[in-house]
Amino acid sequence: MNKGIVILLLQFVINLSLYTQDRGVFSGAFDTNANIFLRDSSINAINTPQYDHQFFGGEAWLNLNYTINGLTIGARFDMFNNSNLRNPTGSFSGLGIGRWYVKKKLNKLEISAGYLYDQIGSGFIFRAFETRPLFIDNAIYGVSAKYDLGKSWHVMGFVGRQKNAFETYTGNIKGVRLEGFHSCGDENPITLAPGIGFVNRTISDENMDNVVNAIRTYQQEDRFNPNHNAYSATFYNTLTYKTVSFYSEVAFKSADIFYNPFALKAELVGVSLGKLEQKKGSVFYGSLTYAAGNIGITTEAKRTENFNFRIDPNLQLIRGLVNYLVPLNRQNTYRLTARYSPAAQDISEMAFSLDIKYKLSKALSVGLNYSDINTLEGDRLFKEVFTEVVYKHQRKWQLTSGIQFLTYNQEVYEMKTEVPLVKTITPYLDVLYKFTPSRALRTELQYMNTKQDFGSWLFGLFEYSIPSGWIFETSAMYNVVPKKANSKGVIEKTLYPTLGVILVNDAQRYSLRYVKQVEGIVCSGGICRLEPAFSGIRFNLNTTF
Amino acid sequence: MNWLKVFAALLIVMLGILSCKEIPVNIGDPLIPESDKIVLIEELTGASCPNCPKGNIISENIISTFPGKVAVVAIHGDFLAQPIEGKSKYDFRNQKAKDLENWFKPWYGKPAASINRTRTNDDQEPFAISRSDLWQSVVEKELQKPHVLNILLASGYNETDRNIELDITAIPIVHLEGSYNISIFLTESEIIDAQSNGSEYIDNYEHNHVLMDMLTGFDGDSFGHDLKANDLIKRKYTYTLPLRAGLFNPDHMEFIVMISRNDPGDRTVIQAAYISVKG
Repeated sequence: MNKGIVILLLQFVINLSLYTQDRGVFSGAFDTNANIFLRDSSINAINTPQYDHQFFGGEAWLNLNYTINGLTIGARFDMFNNSNLRNPTGSFSGLGIGRWYVKKKLNKLEISAGYLYDQIGSGFIFRAFETRPLFIDNAIYGVSAKYDLGKSWHVMGFVGRQKNAFETYTGNIKGVRLEGFHSCGDENPITLAPGIGFVNRTISDENMDNVVNAIRTYQQEDRFNPNHNAYSATFYNTLTYKTVSFYSEVAFKSADIFYNPFALKAELVGVSLGKLEQKKGSVFYGSLTYAAGNIGITTEAKRTENFNFRIDPNLQLIRGLVNYLVPLNRQNTYRLTARYSPAAQDISEMAFSLDIKYKLSKALSVGLNYSDINTLEGDRLFKEVFTEVVYKHQRKWQLTSGIQFLTYNQEVYEMKTEVPLVKTITPYLDVLYKFTPSRALRTELQYMNTKQDFGSWLFGLFEYSIPSGWIFETSAMYNVVPKKANSKGVIEKTLYPTLGVILVNDAQRYSLRYVKQVEGIVCSGGICRLEPAFSGIRFNLNTTF
Repeated sequence: MNWLKVFAALLIVMLGILSCKEIPVNIGDPLIPESDKIVLIEELTGASCPNCPKGNIISENIISTFPGKVAVVAIHGDFLAQPIEGKSKYDFRNQKAKDLENWFKPWYGKPAASINRTRTNDDQEPFAISRSDLWQSVVEKELQKPHVLNILLASGYNETDRNIELDITAIPIVHLEGSYNISIFLTESEIIDAQSNGSEYIDNYEHNHVLMDMLTGFDGDSFGHDLKANDLIKRKYTYTLPLRAGLFNPDHMEFIVMISRNDPGDRTVIQAAYISVKG
């Protein structure tokens, strides 16, 4: 079906380009991962089809877009070959047209059809997006129309189904957004960017059958009459006054069915954890930013209650998410400082963050970030203090250093039993030395001190780049004070080395790495999942044209 | 202002839709059909699995709801099945359990259960369902299917040499086309040992229906082809209970026998039966 539509679109564009003067703009991107899996029981890289008998797995995406005379069309070919992206302990194979779309601007009206990405406000009630490392592709397969109400206002409406790999989930989703911009005039430096959005999700009969089948097995006190429809609304605004900007958003959801893994469920004898519930939800979010001269301050707060919003309430983990909850913690990039990253909690979360950056001189700047996340009941989920000092010596070398203090609730984020809060102290150092503008050596050194989980870690990296575009890298993560037994039941110091070579050639980037990687959390934004250990060879190629 | 009017209109439409009331969905009680069919639940579980006690509770509830119509095998394979360091006395893992767990892959996590090895609609979880509150409805659906085969069991246990003789008689009620396999599970209940449970450990958890061994291959032995109605198909198996401190107690052990289709793409269980090791 998708293939037929794409052929039809190509035919149409070829005809159009033959009959018009405009040759249009053609663009695209290609992205591929290829993994060779080498079984290693000492780091628990075992017991998946890839380690047991498939040995090879990979993915590829080829994206093509063409714009001509206000018409844009695009298609994406997706391929998954023994891929572990969809389910880290399973294997998924499939190939075909992963996305196609058509967009046409007709004066003030813009119409689109196909697989569409968009969002309302910060995404609290709706966000259709793609995050490849987590196999998230929540495009809406449907139509949307956007109408310009003057220069700075528009209204947009959409209706469709949510994408699920090469199919769609059953159940429908539709929404509308009105947003714009208003300036209070040249004399008054206040600007407003308000918006309002509304989304309705209707559960399919098939999915409702599963909900009813589950509720039927519940004791009387846990039963409820399930609604097919959930309605959510959001109101948001960015107020700017001189150097201060204040973004606020409140979102509400009508009584909606969701699976609460922390709720007590009555059983014939005793209770168990986890059941379907139908409750109203809300999110309150605010972000205040001040930036002037040498200083920049951002502070954020978010309160989330029962805001699990899915196309099908029977889905769990990262499947079928209709919305996106903005994470408030710092998005760390260094290996050890990013090791414990919290997933945004949709049932109960109260989060604050503060980020300060101060430039002491042209060469020296400092930064401080503080994040504090608890449940609404006051249980500690996550706390981080992150400091950063950046010193640039002319254009010759740059030093980035700091320390991270972190507390992480592994019981909640990783569903582990009787584990204490993970508390870590991680100093880090990153030195970039440029021999010439295109020849450089970058080194990273990090030490994570912790008595919990796997114990303390040491991480080191060397990355040497030369003018022809080659980058050679070697890094290692070493469990210096191990606390956890491996699959052989032994507590031993383990080295996780990576050896790689990267070639950057114009818009093309090739990388080949031998990797041993410890089990850990992989996050994108506030969405995280536990990934098993990896042992093997990885090849990546990405290019744009 | 134009946009203000649109804003207000949008708000009114939203409030209008929100005031709509749905016709309530009818939620009935479980159906308990009159049938001699026995359904097999193969539950993927583990001592180190924090959510698995919930699966165990649900299995026990299903047994209570459909007395005599359900047989449960608790499979402690690899994933989250390792003994709890410093707490567990026993290791319930064995090669047959590991092979079975792998055979059911992929699945999202534990607990998960296969009900009569029927296919689900989810290609990422083709046999094992990880939403434990859906298990009962699948059992109900299976119980409503026609009963096509009777399995009669007789077990004799010799206290002296711990040898067991298991006699199996299968009688097709209708002509059954295709190939069939037989699987025989040896399970043990009332084993007291540690279990992970949510954010805590239960030191004295009662483990039931634990798969200790199989008298057939993990994926079954061939049982026959095109089984004729009213034919008596007999099989005899022997097994010697090993001596392992605290385990293989014949008073708490059961044989679960099941006959399943052995066609490509269809491994559905057509009937199960169970009997105490001591008969």
